[in-house]
Amino acid sequence: MTELAGIAMLAAVALLLVTTGLPAWQLLIGVAMAFAFGGVIGGVFGLPLLTAMPARLLGLLEQDILQALPLYVLMGALLNHLPFAQFLYRTGNRALAATGAGPALAGLGLGVLLAPMNGSVGASVAMLSRTLSPRLDAAGMTPARGAALVCVASTMGVVIPPSLVLILLGDAMMRAHTEALNLTRESVRIINTQDVFVGALLPAAILLGLCVGVAWWTNRRRMEPRNRQVADDSPSRREWVVAVMTAAFIGCLLAGVTLGYLFAVEAAATGAVALFGFGVATRTLTRAILRDVVRDTLAITGALFALLVAATMFTLVVRAFGTDRWVAGALASLGAGEWGSLAVVLGIVALCALVLDAFEMIFVVIPIALPPLLTQVHDATWVAVLTLLILQASFLTPPFGYAVLMVRHSLRRGMALTALSRALLPYLAAQLLVLCLVLAWPALVWQRNPTTIAPENPAGTVSDDEARRMLEQQLSPPSDESPGKAGKE
Amino acid sequence: MAAFGRGLDRFVGVLVSAGGILVLPVCLLLFLQWPLRDVVQAYSREANDLAQCLFALYVSVAINAATRQRTHLATDVFAQRYSQRTRDLLARAGSLFVLVPWSLFVLCAGWPMAAQSVRQLEAFPETYNPGYFVLKIALLLVVLLILLQALLDAFQRRPRQP
Repeated sequence: MTELAGIAMLAAVALLLVTTGLPAWQLLIGVAMAFAFGGVIGGVFGLPLLTAMPARLLGLLEQDILQALPLYVLMGALLNHLPFAQFLYRTGNRALAATGAGPALAGLGLGVLLAPMNGSVGASVAMLSRTLSPRLDAAGMTPARGAALVCVASTMGVVIPPSLVLILLGDAMMRAHTEALNLTRESVRIINTQDVFVGALLPAAILLGLCVGVAWWTNRRRMEPRNRQVADDSPSRREWVVAVMTAAFIGCLLAGVTLGYLFAVEAAATGAVALFGFGVATRTLTRAILRDVVRDTLAITGALFALLVAATMFTLVVRAFGTDRWVAGALASLGAGEWGSLAVVLGIVALCALVLDAFEMIFVVIPIALPPLLTQVHDATWVAVLTLLILQASFLTPPFGYAVLMVRHSLRRGMALTALSRALLPYLAAQLLVLCLVLAWPALVWQRNPTTIAPENPAGTVSDDEARRMLEQQLSPPSDESPGKAGKE
Repeated sequence: MAAFGRGLDRFVGVLVSAGGILVLPVCLLLFLQWPLRDVVQAYSREANDLAQCLFALYVSVAINAATRQRTHLATDVFAQRYSQRTRDLLARAGSLFVLVPWSLFVLCAGWPMAAQSVRQLEAFPETYNPGYFVLKIALLLVVLLILLQALLDAFQRRPRQP
């Protein structure tokens, strides 16, 4: 039963995470090392397997998609440190004043624009707590409603494409789908990041629409401003122009990446260069601010890469114990079919998301939990979107939801959990509704080029002989290949 | 010994701060890829490879920067109730018994691969541009900096984590 070691590793990490308060990456490495030591001593696997670690870490440094990570963080840091957030909030508040819920809707809009570019749910909570909470408070919103809005706005980056979470989930799903197809030997197209972006579009739009409706409904009565000077601070013409241009620019970039016109890395680089240029041109990007931007970008990027490094070690050891194969076997032997397996795996993902951040989930839990599920449920894009919705719902679920814990922690004032839970309830209901809709109508997940359809082989599977023949065909060099290229290869 | 520790701490701090600025050329090079590919129709692969090298070096100092600025993701909802002494002890234990042995292991396991790559001045496998060996140097730099920082955190008066 050594295969169960991987499950014990996950449990140990979860326990140590909440009891020691040590950084997640240290705990992942520590638990992986302890179990690896046990595995080598017990003869479960040999030391040479662990010496693959440097090569796996090198893979992180040469992966193109990961270059987008510091660039998105840089864009988020520039938006955070330059006066864009204030401009966007103030102009949004003024533009939506006629609805009676200007502060709430502007706050949610700010989250929608900025959260996809932030490093993580934790980073979004920190940024929105700092920029949004005082303004919502000044506008007269109750602390619980303000905190609920910050929670919801901070988690919007999980579902709105093309957020950092979605980019990395797309990558994790691609690996999970590849592993699943290696087990089932099905001949279908492997999911990619673009599939996840496009698939998430409609459910994210419905969720956003519902959240806007909830924010409007719960805050529609005119509030009595606590600080009239801050609440009624009307934006200047220059601020209007900047806010509209910023929103349009970010919107175009996000749409360009989502619809596949731009690579995520190039779009992030373009966005950061444009914001940088704006800061220099308007003299708002001073030397001190640039130093802060560079420092924050470095630290957040480092935190995310540390997690990636640790997860690489952790998943290597989990696989060495054969836990992934055991999970696949256990799911198959359940005999619960597609829906039963889906419920079990998504339930586990939801439980883990109560204590883990989005990135910890993507780097640690998804690579272990999703490949076995994808051997049973064949629509990988649908599973990816369901996973996203489950993740966001878990982050928002009191009392242990990650965003709830972070908001209560960052506000550092007595926030009654009951009041916050009550304020979050309508948003959670909206979340549940979207989840049910996507479960009931998988067609809500758009698929421009479905992964479930085998393009050349309608049967969907290939025999060993066929696979060998196809491989040999691919390996045999074409007759007109240049000698130079053939030589190098 | 204390003076050596302080000096090492300062050296690592300066190295990390200086490395942080690399995000700007990485960003510029990746942005330039687009016009270089679609307008100039040349040098976009060179820009990409150079950005890859700088990106690897950037990542190698970034993990250390996160440790020094305490931005690593942690769930300290319960741990924040512990006394400062308990938290310091936990942090020292984490550095000494987790990060030091792990980074030593990766350093030893990765050394032959990196050394061979540097000796051959290995080029990028797809474009044949020079500089792929920088990625392997960056790999060693990541773990070396993690090792140094873990030692500093374990033996200095006040560790940085959690």
